[in-house]
Amino acid sequence: MWEQVIEDAPRFFGPWNLLFLGEALVNTLLLSYLGAGIGFVIGFGLAIGRHPRLYGVLPLRIAATAYVEIFRRIPFLVKLMCVFFAFQLSGAQASLFTVALVTVVLSAAAFAAEIARAGIESVPAPQWDAAEAMNFSRWRVLTRVVAPQSWRVALPPLFGYAVGFIKSTSIASQIGVLELTYAAKILNTRGFSALLCFGTILVVYFLICWPTKRLGERLEARLGRRAKA
Amino acid sequence: MNYSLIWSQVTPHIPYLLGGAALTLQLAVISFLAGWAIGLVNASVLHFGPRPARLAVQGYVTFFINTPLLVQIFFIFFVLPDAGILLSPYAAVAIGMSLNAGAYLTEIQRAGFQSLRREEIDAATAMGFSVPQMVWYVILPHIAKALYPPLSNQFIIQVMTTSIAAIFAVEELTGRAYNVNSLTFRSLEVFSITAVIYVVLTLACSMALALLGRWLFRVKARIL
Repeated sequence: MWEQVIEDAPRFFGPWNLLFLGEALVNTLLLSYLGAGIGFVIGFGLAIGRHPRLYGVLPLRIAATAYVEIFRRIPFLVKLMCVFFAFQLSGAQASLFTVALVTVVLSAAAFAAEIARAGIESVPAPQWDAAEAMNFSRWRVLTRVVAPQSWRVALPPLFGYAVGFIKSTSIASQIGVLELTYAAKILNTRGFSALLCFGTILVVYFLICWPTKRLGERLEARLGRRAKA
Repeated sequence: MNYSLIWSQVTPHIPYLLGGAALTLQLAVISFLAGWAIGLVNASVLHFGPRPARLAVQGYVTFFINTPLLVQIFFIFFVLPDAGILLSPYAAVAIGMSLNAGAYLTEIQRAGFQSLRREEIDAATAMGFSVPQMVWYVILPHIAKALYPPLSNQFIIQVMTTSIAAIFAVEELTGRAYNVNSLTFRSLEVFSITAVIYVVLTLACSMALALLGRWLFRVKARIL
Protein backbone atom coordinates (compact mmCIF):
# COMPACT_ATOMS: atom_id res chain seq x y z
CA MET A 1 0.00 0.00 0.00
CA TRP A 2 2.67 2.51 1.04
CA GLU A 3 4.97 1.66 -1.89
CA GLN A 4 2.17 2.65 -4.27
CA VAL A 5 1.62 5.89 -2.39
CA ILE A 6 5.29 6.80 -2.59
CA GLU A 7 5.41 5.84 -6.25
CA ASP A 8 2.20 7.77 -7.10
CA ALA A 9 2.87 10.87 -5.01
CA PRO A 10 5.03 12.88 -7.46
CA ARG A 11 2.56 12.25 -10.28
CA PHE A 12 -0.46 12.82 -8.04
CA PHE A 13 0.76 16.23 -6.91
CA GLY A 14 1.66 17.23 -10.46
CA PRO A 15 0.45 20.62 -11.80
CA TRP A 16 -2.62 19.32 -13.64
CA ASN A 17 -3.93 17.35 -10.72
CA LEU A 18 -3.36 20.29 -8.40
CA LEU A 19 -5.26 22.54 -10.79
CA PHE A 20 -8.07 19.97 -10.90
CA LEU A 21 -8.18 19.70 -7.10
CA GLY A 22 -8.00 23.49 -6.85
CA GLU A 23 -11.07 23.86 -9.05
CA ALA A 24 -12.85 21.25 -6.94
CA LEU A 25 -11.84 23.11 -3.79
CA VAL A 26 -13.24 26.38 -5.14
CA ASN A 27 -16.52 24.63 -5.95
CA THR A 28 -16.72 23.09 -2.46
CA LEU A 29 -16.03 26.49 -0.85
CA LEU A 30 -18.56 28.27 -3.09
CA LEU A 31 -21.21 25.62 -2.52
CA SER A 32 -20.84 25.58 1.23
CA TYR A 33 -20.14 29.23 2.11
CA LEU A 34 -22.37 30.82 -0.55
CA GLY A 35 -25.13 28.27 0.06
CA ALA A 36 -24.93 28.59 3.83
CA GLY A 37 -24.76 32.40 3.57
CA ILE A 38 -27.89 32.71 1.40
CA GLY A 39 -29.62 30.04 3.46
CA PHE A 40 -28.89 31.81 6.72
CA VAL A 41 -30.37 35.08 5.42
CA ILE A 42 -33.54 33.24 4.34
CA GLY A 43 -33.56 31.45 7.70
CA PHE A 44 -33.58 34.76 9.56
CA GLY A 45 -36.49 35.82 7.36
CA LEU A 46 -38.33 32.63 8.29
CA ALA A 47 -37.69 33.21 12.00
CA ILE A 48 -39.08 36.75 11.71
CA GLY A 49 -42.09 35.37 9.86
CA ARG A 50 -42.67 32.84 12.62
CA HIS A 51 -42.56 35.21 15.56
CA PRO A 52 -46.02 36.30 16.76
CA ARG A 53 -44.79 39.73 17.90
CA LEU A 54 -42.97 40.46 14.67
CA TYR A 55 -44.49 39.53 11.33
CA GLY A 56 -45.98 36.20 12.35
CA VAL A 57 -49.47 36.35 10.89
CA LEU A 58 -51.07 32.93 11.16
CA PRO A 59 -50.78 31.60 7.56
CA LEU A 60 -47.17 32.75 7.40
CA ARG A 61 -46.41 31.12 10.74
CA ILE A 62 -47.92 27.81 9.70
CA ALA A 63 -46.07 27.83 6.38
CA ALA A 64 -42.73 28.77 7.95
CA THR A 65 -43.07 26.23 10.76
CA ALA A 66 -44.03 23.46 8.34
CA TYR A 67 -41.08 24.30 6.13
CA VAL A 68 -38.63 24.26 9.04
CA GLU A 69 -39.98 21.06 10.57
CA ILE A 70 -40.10 19.19 7.27
CA PHE A 71 -36.79 20.26 5.76
CA ARG A 72 -34.85 19.49 8.92
CA ARG A 73 -36.12 15.92 8.77
CA ILE A 74 -35.13 14.97 5.23
CA PRO A 75 -31.60 13.63 4.67
CA PHE A 76 -29.38 15.77 2.46
CA LEU A 77 -29.07 13.05 -0.18
CA VAL A 78 -32.84 12.66 -0.54
CA LYS A 79 -33.28 16.44 -0.62
CA LEU A 80 -30.63 16.63 -3.33
CA MET A 81 -32.44 14.05 -5.44
CA CYS A 82 -35.78 15.84 -4.98
CA VAL A 83 -34.29 19.18 -6.06
CA PHE A 84 -32.48 17.51 -8.96
CA PHE A 85 -35.66 15.98 -10.35
CA ALA A 86 -37.80 18.99 -9.46
CA PHE A 87 -35.62 21.04 -11.81
CA GLN A 88 -36.28 18.39 -14.45
CA LEU A 89 -40.02 18.71 -13.82
CA SER A 90 -39.94 22.49 -14.12
CA GLY A 91 -38.06 22.17 -17.39
CA ALA A 92 -35.51 24.76 -16.28
CA GLN A 93 -32.00 24.26 -17.60
CA ALA A 94 -29.97 24.35 -14.42
CA SER A 95 -26.35 23.32 -14.00
CA LEU A 96 -25.51 20.57 -11.52
CA PHE A 97 -23.79 23.20 -9.40
CA THR A 98 -27.04 25.18 -9.20
CA VAL A 99 -28.94 22.07 -8.12
CA ALA A 100 -26.47 21.43 -5.32
CA LEU A 101 -26.43 25.10 -4.31
CA VAL A 102 -30.23 25.22 -4.09
CA THR A 103 -30.18 22.10 -1.91
CA VAL A 104 -27.65 23.64 0.47
CA VAL A 105 -29.70 26.85 0.61
CA LEU A 106 -32.92 24.96 1.36
CA SER A 107 -31.28 23.00 4.21
CA ALA A 108 -29.38 25.97 5.62
CA ALA A 109 -32.55 28.08 5.71
CA ALA A 110 -34.41 25.45 7.74
CA PHE A 111 -31.60 25.01 10.29
CA ALA A 112 -30.82 28.74 10.55
CA ALA A 113 -34.49 29.52 11.20
CA GLU A 114 -34.32 27.52 14.43
CA ILE A 115 -31.14 29.25 15.57
CA ALA A 116 -32.49 32.67 14.70
CA ARG A 117 -35.62 31.85 16.66
CA ALA A 118 -33.50 31.05 19.71
CA GLY A 119 -31.72 34.38 19.16
CA ILE A 120 -35.00 36.31 18.97
CA GLU A 121 -36.35 34.54 22.05
CA SER A 122 -33.23 35.48 24.00
CA VAL A 123 -34.54 39.06 24.10
CA PRO A 124 -36.44 39.30 27.41
CA ALA A 125 -40.19 39.92 27.30
CA PRO A 126 -40.10 43.23 29.27
CA GLN A 127 -38.09 44.77 26.44
CA TRP A 128 -40.80 43.84 23.95
CA ASP A 129 -43.40 45.36 26.26
CA ALA A 130 -41.34 48.51 26.70
CA ALA A 131 -40.87 48.89 22.96
CA GLU A 132 -44.59 48.43 22.38
CA ALA A 133 -45.43 50.88 25.14
CA MET A 134 -43.27 53.44 23.37
CA ASN A 135 -45.31 52.80 20.22
CA PHE A 136 -42.45 51.28 18.22
CA SER A 137 -43.50 49.82 14.91
CA ARG A 138 -42.68 46.16 14.28
CA TRP A 139 -39.88 47.18 11.98
CA ARG A 140 -38.32 49.42 14.63
CA VAL A 141 -38.71 46.72 17.29
CA LEU A 142 -36.88 44.39 14.98
CA THR A 143 -34.09 46.73 13.90
CA ARG A 144 -33.57 48.70 17.11
CA VAL A 145 -34.35 46.19 19.88
CA VAL A 146 -34.29 42.59 18.68
CA ALA A 147 -31.61 42.48 15.99
CA PRO A 148 -28.82 44.25 17.93
CA GLN A 149 -29.16 41.77 20.79
CA SER A 150 -30.09 38.52 19.10
CA TRP A 151 -27.27 38.35 16.56
CA ARG A 152 -24.79 37.76 19.39
CA VAL A 153 -26.72 34.65 20.40
CA ALA A 154 -27.40 33.42 16.88
CA LEU A 155 -24.08 33.98 15.14
CA PRO A 156 -21.72 31.48 16.88
CA PRO A 157 -23.90 28.35 16.40
CA LEU A 158 -24.25 29.24 12.72
CA PHE A 159 -20.56 28.51 12.28
CA GLY A 160 -21.12 25.03 13.65
CA TYR A 161 -23.87 24.50 11.08
CA ALA A 162 -21.67 25.97 8.34
CA VAL A 163 -19.19 23.17 9.10
CA GLY A 164 -22.07 20.73 8.73
CA PHE A 165 -22.83 22.10 5.28
CA ILE A 166 -19.21 21.97 4.17
CA LYS A 167 -19.37 18.28 5.03
CA SER A 168 -22.77 17.82 3.38
CA THR A 169 -21.49 19.18 0.07
CA SER A 170 -19.46 15.97 -0.24
CA ILE A 171 -22.80 14.28 -0.98
CA ALA A 172 -23.22 16.53 -4.04
CA SER A 173 -20.59 14.27 -5.66
CA GLN A 174 -23.50 11.86 -6.17
CA ILE A 175 -25.01 13.97 -8.94
CA GLY A 176 -21.61 14.74 -10.44
CA VAL A 177 -20.81 18.22 -9.18
CA LEU A 178 -17.06 18.69 -9.44
CA GLU A 179 -16.26 19.24 -5.77
CA LEU A 180 -13.56 17.65 -3.63
CA THR A 181 -15.15 14.24 -3.14
CA TYR A 182 -16.01 13.87 -6.82
CA ALA A 183 -12.49 14.93 -7.77
CA ALA A 184 -11.07 12.27 -5.45
CA LYS A 185 -13.33 9.64 -7.00
CA ILE A 186 -12.22 10.61 -10.50
CA LEU A 187 -8.54 10.56 -9.57
CA ASN A 188 -9.03 7.19 -7.90
CA THR A 189 -10.67 5.87 -11.06
CA ARG A 190 -7.69 7.14 -13.07
CA GLY A 191 -5.55 4.74 -11.10
CA PHE A 192 -4.06 6.75 -8.27
CA SER A 193 -3.98 4.94 -4.96
CA ALA A 194 -7.16 5.30 -2.89
CA LEU A 195 -5.15 6.23 0.18
CA LEU A 196 -3.60 9.17 -1.65
CA CYS A 197 -6.88 10.41 -3.18
CA PHE A 198 -9.15 10.13 -0.18
CA GLY A 199 -6.40 10.91 2.33
CA THR A 200 -5.62 14.18 0.55
CA ILE A 201 -9.20 15.40 0.48
CA LEU A 202 -9.73 14.35 4.10
CA VAL A 203 -6.86 16.69 4.98
CA VAL A 204 -8.28 19.46 2.76
CA TYR A 205 -11.74 19.11 4.31
CA PHE A 206 -10.17 19.25 7.75
CA LEU A 207 -8.26 22.41 6.81
CA ILE A 208 -11.53 24.07 5.75
CA CYS A 209 -13.76 22.84 8.57
CA TRP A 210 -11.49 23.17 11.55
CA PRO A 211 -10.75 26.92 11.25
CA THR A 212 -14.44 27.59 10.61
CA LYS A 213 -15.38 25.72 13.76
CA ARG A 214 -12.63 27.43 15.79
CA LEU A 215 -13.83 30.82 14.56
CA GLY A 216 -17.32 30.01 15.81
CA GLU A 217 -15.98 28.93 19.20
CA ARG A 218 -13.88 32.05 19.58
CA LEU A 219 -16.81 34.25 18.58
CA GLU A 220 -18.96 32.47 21.13
CA ALA A 221 -16.43 33.15 23.88
CA ARG A 222 -16.01 36.81 22.88
CA LEU A 223 -19.66 37.66 22.29
CA GLY A 224 -20.75 35.73 25.38
CA ARG A 225 -18.32 37.70 27.53
CA ARG A 226 -19.50 41.01 26.15
CA ALA A 227 -23.15 40.06 26.56
CA LYS A 228 -22.59 39.32 30.25
CA ALA A 229 -20.64 42.52 30.91
CA MET B 1 -39.37 18.72 -22.23
CA ASN B 2 -42.54 18.04 -20.32
CA TYR B 3 -42.65 15.83 -17.29
CA SER B 4 -45.97 14.84 -15.79
CA LEU B 5 -46.28 13.29 -12.38
CA ILE B 6 -47.67 9.76 -12.34
CA TRP B 7 -47.98 8.57 -8.76
CA SER B 8 -49.80 5.32 -9.49
CA GLN B 9 -46.63 3.68 -10.80
CA VAL B 10 -44.81 4.29 -7.53
CA THR B 11 -47.50 3.62 -4.93
CA PRO B 12 -47.28 -0.22 -5.30
CA HIS B 13 -43.63 0.04 -4.21
CA ILE B 14 -44.35 1.82 -0.92
CA PRO B 15 -44.33 -1.39 1.16
CA TYR B 16 -40.91 -2.21 -0.33
CA LEU B 17 -39.69 1.26 0.67
CA LEU B 18 -41.05 0.81 4.19
CA GLY B 19 -39.08 -2.44 4.41
CA GLY B 20 -36.02 -0.31 3.70
CA ALA B 21 -37.04 1.98 6.54
CA ALA B 22 -36.66 -1.00 8.90
CA LEU B 23 -33.06 -1.43 7.76
CA THR B 24 -32.55 2.32 8.18
CA LEU B 25 -33.66 2.06 11.80
CA GLN B 26 -31.46 -1.00 12.35
CA LEU B 27 -28.40 0.80 11.02
CA ALA B 28 -29.23 3.88 13.09
CA VAL B 29 -29.62 1.84 16.29
CA ILE B 30 -26.39 -0.13 15.72
CA SER B 31 -24.30 2.94 14.94
CA PHE B 32 -25.87 4.91 17.78
CA LEU B 33 -25.21 2.22 20.38
CA ALA B 34 -21.65 1.63 19.16
CA GLY B 35 -21.03 5.38 19.04
CA TRP B 36 -22.48 5.78 22.52
CA ALA B 37 -20.12 3.13 23.89
CA ILE B 38 -17.14 4.76 22.13
CA GLY B 39 -18.25 8.13 23.47
CA LEU B 40 -18.60 6.83 27.02
CA VAL B 41 -15.12 5.29 27.02
CA ASN B 42 -13.66 8.43 25.44
CA ALA B 43 -15.39 10.75 27.91
CA SER B 44 -14.04 8.62 30.79
CA VAL B 45 -10.55 8.83 29.30
CA LEU B 46 -10.87 12.61 28.94
CA HIS B 47 -11.92 12.86 32.57
CA PHE B 48 -9.64 10.32 34.25
CA GLY B 49 -7.02 9.27 31.71
CA PRO B 50 -3.35 10.25 31.41
CA ARG B 51 -2.34 13.11 29.13
CA PRO B 52 -1.25 11.07 26.05
CA ALA B 53 -4.56 9.17 26.06
CA ARG B 54 -6.48 12.44 26.43
CA LEU B 55 -4.62 13.92 23.47
CA ALA B 56 -5.35 10.83 21.38
CA VAL B 57 -9.06 11.07 22.17
CA GLN B 58 -9.10 14.78 21.40
CA GLY B 59 -7.37 14.10 18.08
CA TYR B 60 -9.93 11.44 17.22
CA VAL B 61 -12.85 13.74 18.04
CA THR B 62 -11.42 16.75 16.18
CA PHE B 63 -10.65 14.67 13.11
CA PHE B 64 -14.03 12.93 12.85
CA ILE B 65 -16.05 16.07 13.56
CA ASN B 66 -14.23 18.14 10.95
CA THR B 67 -14.31 15.74 7.99
CA PRO B 68 -17.32 14.50 6.01
CA LEU B 69 -18.78 11.12 6.93
CA LEU B 70 -19.08 10.21 3.25
CA VAL B 71 -15.34 10.58 2.71
CA GLN B 72 -14.61 8.69 5.95
CA ILE B 73 -16.65 5.77 4.64
CA PHE B 74 -15.00 6.03 1.21
CA PHE B 75 -11.71 5.80 3.05
CA ILE B 76 -12.78 2.72 4.99
CA PHE B 77 -14.33 1.10 1.93
CA PHE B 78 -11.59 1.77 -0.64
CA VAL B 79 -8.38 2.16 1.34
CA LEU B 80 -8.62 -0.65 3.88
CA PRO B 81 -8.81 -3.34 1.14
CA ASP B 82 -5.31 -2.20 0.08
CA ALA B 83 -4.19 -3.10 3.60
CA GLY B 84 -5.87 -6.48 3.30
CA ILE B 85 -9.08 -5.69 5.19
CA LEU B 86 -12.06 -6.39 2.96
CA LEU B 87 -15.39 -5.16 4.30
CA SER B 88 -18.92 -5.59 3.02
CA PRO B 89 -20.68 -2.28 2.17
CA TYR B 90 -22.97 -2.71 5.16
CA ALA B 91 -20.04 -3.27 7.53
CA ALA B 92 -18.08 -0.33 6.09
CA VAL B 93 -21.06 2.00 6.50
CA ALA B 94 -21.82 0.72 10.00
CA ILE B 95 -18.20 1.15 11.12
CA GLY B 96 -17.90 4.59 9.55
CA MET B 97 -21.15 5.79 11.09
CA SER B 98 -20.23 4.35 14.50
CA LEU B 99 -16.83 6.07 14.53
CA ASN B 100 -18.41 9.31 13.36
CA ALA B 101 -21.21 9.15 15.94
CA GLY B 102 -18.60 8.21 18.55
CA ALA B 103 -16.92 11.60 18.07
CA TYR B 104 -20.14 13.56 18.54
CA LEU B 105 -21.25 11.41 21.45
CA THR B 106 -17.85 11.94 23.12
CA GLU B 107 -18.46 15.69 23.00
CA ILE B 108 -21.98 15.31 24.40
CA GLN B 109 -20.97 12.98 27.22
CA ARG B 110 -17.85 14.98 28.05
CA ALA B 111 -20.13 17.93 28.78
CA GLY B 112 -22.17 15.66 31.03
CA PHE B 113 -19.06 14.50 32.91
CA GLN B 114 -18.06 18.10 33.50
CA SER B 115 -21.43 18.92 35.01
CA LEU B 116 -20.73 16.43 37.79
CA ARG B 117 -19.95 17.72 41.29
CA ARG B 118 -16.40 17.08 42.48
CA GLU B 119 -17.62 15.72 45.86
CA GLU B 120 -19.44 12.81 44.28
CA ILE B 121 -16.29 11.56 42.57
CA ASP B 122 -14.32 12.10 45.80
CA ALA B 123 -16.90 10.06 47.72
CA ALA B 124 -16.76 7.26 45.15
CA THR B 125 -12.96 7.27 45.26
CA ALA B 126 -13.05 7.12 49.07
CA MET B 127 -15.29 4.08 48.85
CA GLY B 128 -12.73 2.35 46.67
CA PHE B 129 -14.60 2.39 43.34
CA SER B 130 -12.47 1.71 40.30
CA VAL B 131 -12.84 4.14 37.38
CA PRO B 132 -15.18 1.89 35.32
CA GLN B 133 -17.30 1.24 38.42
CA MET B 134 -17.41 4.93 39.18
CA VAL B 135 -18.51 5.77 35.61
CA TRP B 136 -21.16 3.07 35.54
CA TYR B 137 -22.61 3.30 39.07
CA VAL B 138 -22.03 6.93 40.05
CA ILE B 139 -21.55 9.16 37.02
CA LEU B 140 -23.98 7.69 34.49
CA PRO B 141 -27.04 7.62 36.75
CA HIS B 142 -26.35 11.23 37.70
CA ILE B 143 -25.98 12.61 34.21
CA ALA B 144 -28.48 10.34 32.41
CA LYS B 145 -31.37 12.77 32.80
CA ALA B 146 -29.39 15.77 31.60
CA LEU B 147 -27.91 13.83 28.69
CA TYR B 148 -31.16 12.30 27.47
CA PRO B 149 -32.32 15.20 25.23
CA PRO B 150 -29.01 15.65 23.35
CA LEU B 151 -28.63 11.87 23.03
CA SER B 152 -32.09 11.43 21.52
CA ASN B 153 -31.33 14.36 19.22
CA GLN B 154 -28.20 12.53 18.07
CA PHE B 155 -30.26 9.41 17.41
CA ILE B 156 -32.55 11.36 15.07
CA ILE B 157 -29.45 12.66 13.27
CA GLN B 158 -28.23 9.06 12.95
CA VAL B 159 -31.53 8.03 11.34
CA MET B 160 -31.11 10.70 8.67
CA THR B 161 -27.42 10.02 8.20
CA THR B 162 -28.07 6.38 7.27
CA SER B 163 -29.19 7.62 3.84
CA ILE B 164 -25.48 7.79 2.97
CA ALA B 165 -25.49 3.98 2.99
CA ALA B 166 -27.39 4.13 -0.30
CA ILE B 167 -24.22 5.40 -1.99
CA PHE B 168 -22.59 2.07 -1.06
CA ALA B 169 -25.53 0.07 -2.41
CA VAL B 170 -26.91 -0.85 1.00
CA GLU B 171 -30.63 -1.34 0.48
CA GLU B 172 -31.98 0.85 3.24
CA LEU B 173 -34.70 3.42 2.61
CA THR B 174 -32.74 5.64 0.21
CA GLY B 175 -31.06 2.63 -1.40
CA ARG B 176 -34.44 1.09 -2.12
CA ALA B 177 -35.62 4.45 -3.45
CA TYR B 178 -32.75 4.25 -5.96
CA ASN B 179 -33.90 0.74 -6.89
CA VAL B 180 -37.52 1.80 -7.41
CA ASN B 181 -36.26 4.79 -9.39
CA SER B 182 -34.32 2.61 -11.81
CA LEU B 183 -37.32 0.30 -12.10
CA THR B 184 -40.02 2.89 -12.78
CA PHE B 185 -38.11 6.05 -13.82
CA ARG B 186 -40.68 8.10 -11.87
CA SER B 187 -37.82 9.90 -10.15
CA LEU B 188 -39.47 12.88 -8.50
CA GLU B 189 -42.38 10.76 -7.29
CA VAL B 190 -40.07 8.15 -5.76
CA PHE B 191 -37.83 10.62 -3.98
CA SER B 192 -40.62 12.83 -2.68
CA ILE B 193 -42.38 9.76 -1.24
CA THR B 194 -39.05 8.77 0.30
CA ALA B 195 -38.70 12.25 1.78
CA VAL B 196 -42.18 11.97 3.31
CA ILE B 197 -41.28 8.58 4.80
CA TYR B 198 -38.15 10.11 6.37
CA VAL B 199 -40.19 12.96 7.86
CA VAL B 200 -42.74 10.54 9.31
CA LEU B 201 -40.04 8.16 10.51
CA THR B 202 -38.03 10.82 12.35
CA LEU B 203 -41.19 12.37 13.80
CA ALA B 204 -42.23 8.93 15.09
CA CYS B 205 -38.76 8.42 16.57
CA SER B 206 -38.83 11.85 18.23
CA MET B 207 -42.22 11.11 19.77
CA ALA B 208 -41.23 7.63 20.91
CA LEU B 209 -38.04 8.97 22.49
CA ALA B 210 -39.91 11.79 24.22
CA LEU B 211 -42.42 9.27 25.63
CA LEU B 212 -39.57 7.00 26.75
CA GLY B 213 -37.92 10.00 28.41
CA ARG B 214 -41.13 10.81 30.28
CA TRP B 215 -41.38 7.26 31.50
CA LEU B 216 -37.69 6.97 32.45
CA PHE B 217 -37.08 10.33 34.07
CA ARG B 218 -40.57 11.54 35.02
CA VAL B 219 -40.08 14.79 33.16
CA LYS B 220 -42.70 16.69 31.22
CA ALA B 221 -40.92 16.56 27.88
CA ARG B 222 -42.59 18.10 24.87
CA ILE B 223 -43.91 15.21 22.79
CA LEU B 224 -44.20 17.23 19.60
